[in-house]
Amino acid sequence: MQDQRDQLRYQRQMGLPEIGEQGQKRLARSRVFVGGLGGLGSVITTYLCAAGVGSLRIADRDRVEISNLNRQILHWTKDVGRDKTVSAREKLAALNPDAEIETHHLEIGPENAAELVQGCQVIVDGTDNLQTRRVLNRTSLDMDLPFVHGGINGFNGMISTFVPGRSPCFECLFSEFGSPSSPPPVLGSVAGVVGSLQSLEVIKCLLGLMDGLLCGRLLFMQGQTMAFREISLEKNPDCPECRGR
Amino acid sequence: MWISMEQYEESGMKNTVTITLNGFQEEVAQGSTVSSLIKYFQELDKDLIVEHNGRFVYPGEYPRTVVDDGDRLEFINPNFGG
Ligand SMILES: [Zn+2]
Repeated sequence: MQDQRDQLRYQRQMGLPEIGEQGQKRLARSRVFVGGLGGLGSVITTYLCAAGVGSLRIADRDRVEISNLNRQILHWTKDVGRDKTVSAREKLAALNPDAEIETHHLEIGPENAAELVQGCQVIVDGTDNLQTRRVLNRTSLDMDLPFVHGGINGFNGMISTFVPGRSPCFECLFSEFGSPSSPPPVLGSVAGVVGSLQSLEVIKCLLGLMDGLLCGRLLFMQGQTMAFREISLEKNPDCPECRGR
Repeated sequence: MWISMEQYEESGMKNTVTITLNGFQEEVAQGSTVSSLIKYFQELDKDLIVEHNGRFVYPGEYPRTVVDDGDRLEFINPNFGG
């Protein structure tokens, strides 16, 4: 796979000692599951695809709506009314024809999550709701896979990487939280920052750069004051999902 | 040197501690817990993240997490959009 064209395509990142030819091959052999193709999913999939992650498995149940376009940059005006999976596959395949893009137009639930994630090395949160995040977190624990979480709201965002056994899980933090009654207002640039940081976490996972992960830490971004704050996380023995293991 | 409670209060020293809450200095009763502060500041939103000196506080710990002079407390709304 490392022919001359690949050498050129990935030249600027292969120059990093942490990547090099071996790391690039590692990325090419990797498969990542991305749940959701909204504001976060658009950015996550774009950067993973551009970086040469060999295979992306993507699930989303929605069609593109005009109100998505302020932030979901993978979908364009011409895509309104199309399945997000179709729109995404088209753009990602054009960006990097070598990437295998596997799309599933469906709602992620407890009944299909394990099968969807089977064979992937990382689970990425591009969802916009708590229920789906709970399902992905459960799957991350069951299959012992890192879960790279991101969420946005207005000018603000949060990110953390949950690694089973090494960090608390998503439910350690949020098991007592309820779903907001209406979707929050969101600025596209914030989705861009958070999704981009998530894609960086994924690439680090795939390269085995585990020490620098946002693991046991919750990063908060406040866009209005451009303040980034980190909160340290301990395991929660009362967690109904992982029981603080 | 011992002083009476009256002298203590007259002297301007009070049984309070100063904390930084969401970036603002607040004087709160000594021995305040996260639970009592959530009530005191009328944080009505049940779904709140509490950060105490850089540490995530789980709801089960609210009643026994006491704030001290100089502590930093943040009440944060989680971001669950995508
Ligand atoms: Zn847990």
